[in-house]
Amino acid sequence: MNEQFRDLLLTTLLAVLFGLIFSGLMLLFLDKNPIEAFGILFSSLFRDKYTFGDIFVKATPLIFTGLSFAFTYKANLFNIGAQGQFYIGSVISAAVSLSLQDEMPGALALIIVFILTVIGGGIWGGFVGYVKARFKTNEFLVSMMSTYVALNIMDYLLRTVLKETKGEYPQTDSLSKAVWLPKLVQGTRLHWGFVIAVAAAIGIWILLYKTSLGFRIRAVGFNPEAARMSGINAKKLYIITFFISGALAAVAGFTEVNGMQHMLVQGFNPNVGSEGLGIAILANANPIGIIFAAILFGILRTGGLIMSQMANVPSSIIELMQGFVMIFVILSYFVRSKLEIKREKSKLQKVAGI
Amino acid sequence: MSIGLLARALMMSTPLLYGSISEVFAERSGVMVTAIEGIFLIGAWAGFAGTYLSGSLFIGILCAMLAGVLTAALYGWITIYLKQHQVVTGTAINILMLGFCAFFQRVIFGVPTIPLTVKPLPVIPIPFLSKIPWIGQLFFTQNILTYLMYVIVPISYFVLYKTSIGLTIRSTGENPEAVDVAGINVEKIRFSMVLIAGVMGGIAGAFYSIGYLGMFATNIIGGRGWIAFAICFLGNWNPKGAFIGTLIFGLAEALAIYMQSIGGNGLFPNELFIALPYILTIVLTISRKSYNVPAKLGVPYKKEE
Amino acid sequence: MNKDWRRHDYGAASLIKNGRMMNTPFFELRNITKYFSQVIANKDVSFPIFRGEVLALLGENGAGKSTAMKILYGLYKADSGDILMNGEKKRIHSPKDAMALGISMIQQHFSLVPAHTVTENIILGNVHGRIDWKAHEQEILELAHQHGFNIMPDKLVRDLAVGMQQKVEILKALYQNTHLLIMDEPTAVLTPQEAEVLMQFVRGFTANGNSVIFITHKLKEVMDVADRIIVMRNGIVSGDLKRAETNERELSRLMIGREIIANDEGNRRQPSKDSDVRLVLDGVSIEEHGQVPKLKGISFSIHRGEIFGVAGVSGNGQQELCEVICGAIKPTSGRIYVDEKDITEKEIRDRIEIGIGYVPSDRHKDGMVMDMTLAENMMLKTSSDKKWQRNGFLDKRELDAYTEAAIKSYDIKAPGPNAVVKGLSGGNQQKVIVAREVNTGTSIIVFDQPTRGLDLGAIDYVHKTILAEREKGKSILLISTELSEIFALADRYTVLYKGETQGIYNRSELTTEEIGLLMAGYGLERSSGNE
Repeated sequence: MNEQFRDLLLTTLLAVLFGLIFSGLMLLFLDKNPIEAFGILFSSLFRDKYTFGDIFVKATPLIFTGLSFAFTYKANLFNIGAQGQFYIGSVISAAVSLSLQDEMPGALALIIVFILTVIGGGIWGGFVGYVKARFKTNEFLVSMMSTYVALNIMDYLLRTVLKETKGEYPQTDSLSKAVWLPKLVQGTRLHWGFVIAVAAAIGIWILLYKTSLGFRIRAVGFNPEAARMSGINAKKLYIITFFISGALAAVAGFTEVNGMQHMLVQGFNPNVGSEGLGIAILANANPIGIIFAAILFGILRTGGLIMSQMANVPSSIIELMQGFVMIFVILSYFVRSKLEIKREKSKLQKVAGI
Repeated sequence: MSIGLLARALMMSTPLLYGSISEVFAERSGVMVTAIEGIFLIGAWAGFAGTYLSGSLFIGILCAMLAGVLTAALYGWITIYLKQHQVVTGTAINILMLGFCAFFQRVIFGVPTIPLTVKPLPVIPIPFLSKIPWIGQLFFTQNILTYLMYVIVPISYFVLYKTSIGLTIRSTGENPEAVDVAGINVEKIRFSMVLIAGVMGGIAGAFYSIGYLGMFATNIIGGRGWIAFAICFLGNWNPKGAFIGTLIFGLAEALAIYMQSIGGNGLFPNELFIALPYILTIVLTISRKSYNVPAKLGVPYKKEE
Repeated sequence: MNKDWRRHDYGAASLIKNGRMMNTPFFELRNITKYFSQVIANKDVSFPIFRGEVLALLGENGAGKSTAMKILYGLYKADSGDILMNGEKKRIHSPKDAMALGISMIQQHFSLVPAHTVTENIILGNVHGRIDWKAHEQEILELAHQHGFNIMPDKLVRDLAVGMQQKVEILKALYQNTHLLIMDEPTAVLTPQEAEVLMQFVRGFTANGNSVIFITHKLKEVMDVADRIIVMRNGIVSGDLKRAETNERELSRLMIGREIIANDEGNRRQPSKDSDVRLVLDGVSIEEHGQVPKLKGISFSIHRGEIFGVAGVSGNGQQELCEVICGAIKPTSGRIYVDEKDITEKEIRDRIEIGIGYVPSDRHKDGMVMDMTLAENMMLKTSSDKKWQRNGFLDKRELDAYTEAAIKSYDIKAPGPNAVVKGLSGGNQQKVIVAREVNTGTSIIVFDQPTRGLDLGAIDYVHKTILAEREKGKSILLISTELSEIFALADRYTVLYKGETQGIYNRSELTTEEIGLLMAGYGLERSSGNE
């Protein structure tokens, strides 16, 4: 067991390294010195607590979308709609916050917003699980398309009902301070959303590995036939799993709207969904691993933004880094499995006296 | 006016057809090309960059094909030879392509003050035939890529069902072991299909930038690669079905543009029309009762433990 | 290395034996060695195959027979060793190379495309360019006729009976001009009569100078049809004999390494005549509109403390019978009673709670989750039970203790409760399932092909367990294609043919030949003719 964990850490670290190296090589096309640029990236992360805190701010929604994909993945289901569920969560958070913020104490409003976001995202995601259970629909396609539908719903609302009172841009009014998620550390943008995210990750881990519901979800994911023969109702599980998954992605919207942006702007965070997928892959769908992978992506994004500001590097370097890192992590899966086979074979040959 | 709409619909369905037919071949052999959105995107970018820099649309299309095939080769190598997960690899490549295209657009063109444009694919009316009332305007007053579409569909159908290679491709997706045992290299077949998807997907993507809009933006594809992917599914993995599917979606798109242009905002919001193709996909996916999914679609072929 | 078991002299240049030329062997394996990640599959395997010879490759499950043949056919690459044809070394790196040399292989799990027609399957890999469907269909009809096969080229393979599918595989090999035909357990899916037809084909085929290797674990088959026998055990060749010069006892000794005693059930308590009836099936049918009925009017009952056997070739309704009893399918008509209560409408979940256990034939698909641990698999059917819960969470200690006990009492060779099931041998995996189902099945246990693919030690264990459960008064349904198993264990039995039972008989009521007729659908009163 120890050998395998060592392999995992080593190959993942190497993968991240190679991913960054390749991205760095791309910088040469811009006549930029990659070592200098990456030097700026890493050193600036620690230059002040505001920047350092931003890593975790950026990581927060990614933990949720990563958990969202990973959770359904455990049941061998594909929720490609996290981005859309995030939008739905954002819309609900903004709309309910704006309407309740003057009506009641902020804390109470926040709790109601949270609950409604969970329910709304859960239903939006749960719909996919429902059609899979009832009609055996391909959830990959439906969840993916639902993102574009959610996007258009959000755009429509931002253009009409939710539009700011000024009426200039497609965005909502700012949320009043009462319904802001409180800051975790003064002098940064880090808010309690991060704590909620980590708690969610731990909660999902416990759910998956320490409860009978989680056991049944994993059994269905590994072998739906054997699960069925064991009296496990896969259909009910599809709906529950997609509900939870949708709710998780939606809460990312809550933390972003109430914790970071304090408003809803058109076109914000357009990649949290696919980044969440990438993070889930990096972490091999392990909820605790997702926390770390999200922080890594947070580092890449925060650092990438600074790099783009200070070294005049285009911000698309961020997606380049993410993409390269993901590819190398996938390659590391391959390398690890080959190592494992080689190890077993040589053990055998030793025993046979070759 | 309505013939113009239909002609526009036929044009809009062209890239979807290129994408979905190549997806049909790939999926029939057992591989889902989940990198299709990324392939479309890099096709769009390479097509634009190639055309702008060389001044020739032809060179642009060649660049798009090259970019598509290289990306597909990467995808195919990882999923077929290294046997990694297809959804995961596709997503990684899609993200990478987003970064790549935006980055190299910057590298090559810097930050232009006014958006760069090229003249899009010209409409080439076919002599005599284009003069036929109604039909002439609809079918024979299109661009070269759309004309090629008329040939691609029947050829695809013929190859898939009436030739030995078609039988081999179909068998590979149903039971790769049967193909292996017959002495045919399963991985070579699958890889070839993925490369074809790269070429055709590249052309499809280029259609959006140099065939239609005449410019490039990173959100130019906006999920249409996925719609081509969905059409393969909805068309039951059959070139005929894919063709019908692309016509329907092309019509939906043309309709959306039309409604927006005449300011149909009064009755229905713009966003509804933009979302129409996606809603349509969801509805059709749910209501489809039976499918002929290739039995081993998405499963990497492993021989020994 | 002990050489006294070799009865051939390969040094002689030409010897004529049994009317066949004994010169350079047609094909030869020399020192073939192959490793997989967990096991040494073949070690220094060497033997020749001569023209016009029927060679049997005999051995227990896991002895390495299939591996050696897959290497000959190019599906696997040997780690060391050579293959020779007519004395020359040949490189066989893929089935293409093997086929170019005239070798064909028909595996246990057919390499056919179920969704395609017979024609499409046969010509796959054998045609180029444009396909003239009509011409090929004609060719196939003629080829089939030539060998006495009755085949319809445009039928979909998945609609064919298994015996017919095998004929398609054989036709495919013939279409490719095969001279060495390798068959892996060919009679596993055939009735005794169909097996006879196959053997006739084999004899005719080899009479023309071709060779056949068939892999089997059935001693009787070997003695009936083979000219020469290679025995393998644990990856090595333990015997190379001519059939005329050996007997079943010697072969089984070479197969297992010790004498086996014929299965002796010892003292058996006769089920008393007024022992309560526990499970009753009354007119159970599964007939979908417009399709061949899967089950038709199944009626039988099983008493407490009784083993009821179901014989028959696979694919005649056994799977459906199991599923209708454990609740995975609902019958379209008929009722099922347990202890006089009607359970026909009950779900799988409820039937587990009533105490119906099920050991499925496809254990990897239906019986266990390969990627989960031993302990998790033990809990598979009872995951929401209170006994595994403590304060709402899974009680790992309780589960581990339970699993440890099972490992001990069933002698399961595994590192512990947290070992992943995938890493266990087939026999040990089956023991896990049996251990679980014996606990789940407090009143009824359904065993479907429980010893398929197991080595003799594990088979013995499973049989002992079945008998022990019978002693405890449980009702047992035993479905098996191995007649010897039915004869050894069942108190009463029936034969399934095309979804219908062909009478119910006591243990020694019928002969093998009579059962064979029933398995093929012939009633006993008629001596020949159709159903």
